[in-house]
Amino acid sequence: MGDPFDLAAGWLQEHALLPLLYALGLMRWEEVSFGWALFALYGAAQVALTYAICVPLERWRPVEHWSDRRAVSVDVLYTLISRVGVLPLVTFVLFYQAQVALNGWMADHGWVPPMLETMFPSLLGHPVLTFLCYAAILDCVDYWRHRLSHRFRWWWALHALHHAQRQMTFWSDDRNHFLDDLIAFLLFGAVALAIGVPPLQFPVLVLLLRFVESLSHANARVSFGWLGNRLLVSPRFHRAHHGVLAAGQRSCNYGAVLPWWDMLFGTADFGRAYAPTGVPGAEPALESGTYLRQQWAGIRQLARDLGGRRRTSLTIGRRNV
Amino acid sequence: MRLLAFVCLATAALAPLPAAAAGVAFVINSGAASVSLIDMTTHKELSRIPALREPHHWALSPDGASLVVGDSAGNALLLLDPATGAVQRRVTVADPYQLGYSPDGKLLVVNGLARNQVDIYDARSFALVKRFPIRSMPSHLAFAPDSSRVFVTLQGTDRLAAFDLRAMRPLWDVAVGSTPAGVLWHDGHLLVADMGTDHLVEVDPADGRVLRRIVTGKGAHNLFLSPDGRVIWVNNRVAGTTEELDAKTFAPIRTFHISGGPDDLAFAPDDKVWITRRFAESVAVLDPASGEIATIPAGRSPHGIFLNPSAPGAAKLARN
Repeated sequence: MGDPFDLAAGWLQEHALLPLLYALGLMRWEEVSFGWALFALYGAAQVALTYAICVPLERWRPVEHWSDRRAVSVDVLYTLISRVGVLPLVTFVLFYQAQVALNGWMADHGWVPPMLETMFPSLLGHPVLTFLCYAAILDCVDYWRHRLSHRFRWWWALHALHHAQRQMTFWSDDRNHFLDDLIAFLLFGAVALAIGVPPLQFPVLVLLLRFVESLSHANARVSFGWLGNRLLVSPRFHRAHHGVLAAGQRSCNYGAVLPWWDMLFGTADFGRAYAPTGVPGAEPALESGTYLRQQWAGIRQLARDLGGRRRTSLTIGRRNV
Repeated sequence: MRLLAFVCLATAALAPLPAAAAGVAFVINSGAASVSLIDMTTHKELSRIPALREPHHWALSPDGASLVVGDSAGNALLLLDPATGAVQRRVTVADPYQLGYSPDGKLLVVNGLARNQVDIYDARSFALVKRFPIRSMPSHLAFAPDSSRVFVTLQGTDRLAAFDLRAMRPLWDVAVGSTPAGVLWHDGHLLVADMGTDHLVEVDPADGRVLRRIVTGKGAHNLFLSPDGRVIWVNNRVAGTTEELDAKTFAPIRTFHISGGPDDLAFAPDDKVWITRRFAESVAVLDPASGEIATIPAGRSPHGIFLNPSAPGAAKLARN
């Protein structure tokens, strides 16, 4: 019995994608389409797994009760776009092509691209351990990306979209401005290229890590206990990061999966518990607009900040910290 | 250009294995970054050798001492003992997707599918002799029997390209089909599998002129001449079939349904045909006499396949 995801992606490839590509005269993309099918299926599984676990948790121990959940529905759209639809395809195509091109270019110049497995040959044949090493490095990089996205005014103008949600749920993990996503993608891509992260070798583990990220946004009073909160980012830990008092420059708890980086670099706060979320003073479009209105509001905010108009609603929010 | 290849890693150990087997199949799992060693008798997987990122195809060194596996995204050649699977060494090479030794054993041609280049290496030293940048997606290759030329399909285009290996220069680059994939030198001509259509294209190797088209099945991907030279086997990716053609007349003989994206193919001494199923995580072992098909699980996206029926099998593997 093979990997069920592989077999399902293979079925999709054989019975839907290949005939479509053939009919459209696009057979040159047939290997890429298989990669996309795998990514999309894993993305769908991520959504299903997260839904199955987080919905009961949010009903069991909700932090907040809302009579109108329309603001949440936009986050659902963000999630589907990010995990199932366009982004997996773009990520796979761009990341793969960039990795091959850059590694090949480096090899041309007589330099072996630094993969963890070539630096530490004993990792070869131990894929799970290798993956965990990669995951820890990337999580550390993401900590700094996240922290800097709060630090720089122009970057915060984009990242504030993620924080503006006052009805934060597990769907909110993928609520990001597309420019913020693009910056993260480029940064991650550069680092991944430098240490040779394999794009498709460990999808199940990626699925589990993404689950932790979604869970951390859940509208649920869930703590992993004193020790657990220090081993893995919990909803309690991450909610402190989204709290109204932590919006902007002086936030805390930036870690996505591991709280170790916050502990190491002095930004961990295990004391705050289940504060209301949002960005004080954020314009309504950023908080509860449609997908497009939110994106547009982010661009306008960015333009204002880049144009030097300092007194903006987000600036006020930041000064209130 | 500065010579490129050099050794980057030493050997890696194989896990202890069960005893008794005759013949070993090497299945290259492109999506799992590994090579599965499968006992040809019991159909059990004996061992899995880690590659770096994305191995696809192989070539046997001219002295038969090394099975050279190209790891394209890993930018590495993995040299394996074709008898035991033991890793002999790893050599850094840019984007080795498809590879083949010239019949005279002097050159190793490497197609960089992602990097749009055809590289010519010295077969012994792995030193880069010549690089031909070309668009796009150089995929499969075939040599003229006298080693004077190599022919490369450009899967990202509708073209087939020829290179002079003596003068080290491009010869011609012409449109032959929709998405050219597999290519075979056969009886003084070239046969190209056109994955974007349902046919093979017969091409004049002198100038790339299309001589005729032979209908097989949708998504004609790759083709292979049987060891006795009588039959051409064609794997049709979209149709999900493997087709036998008479090697002289190209008349269809039989068609077998092989689901899961049939890709590469290898012939066993017992006349069975081993076929990788790219999208079904397995290898199909077809008995043409009975039409029966056995399925052997492999890693994700199995691509290249090499059979060594004389390998001592598991008993010796266990001692490595």
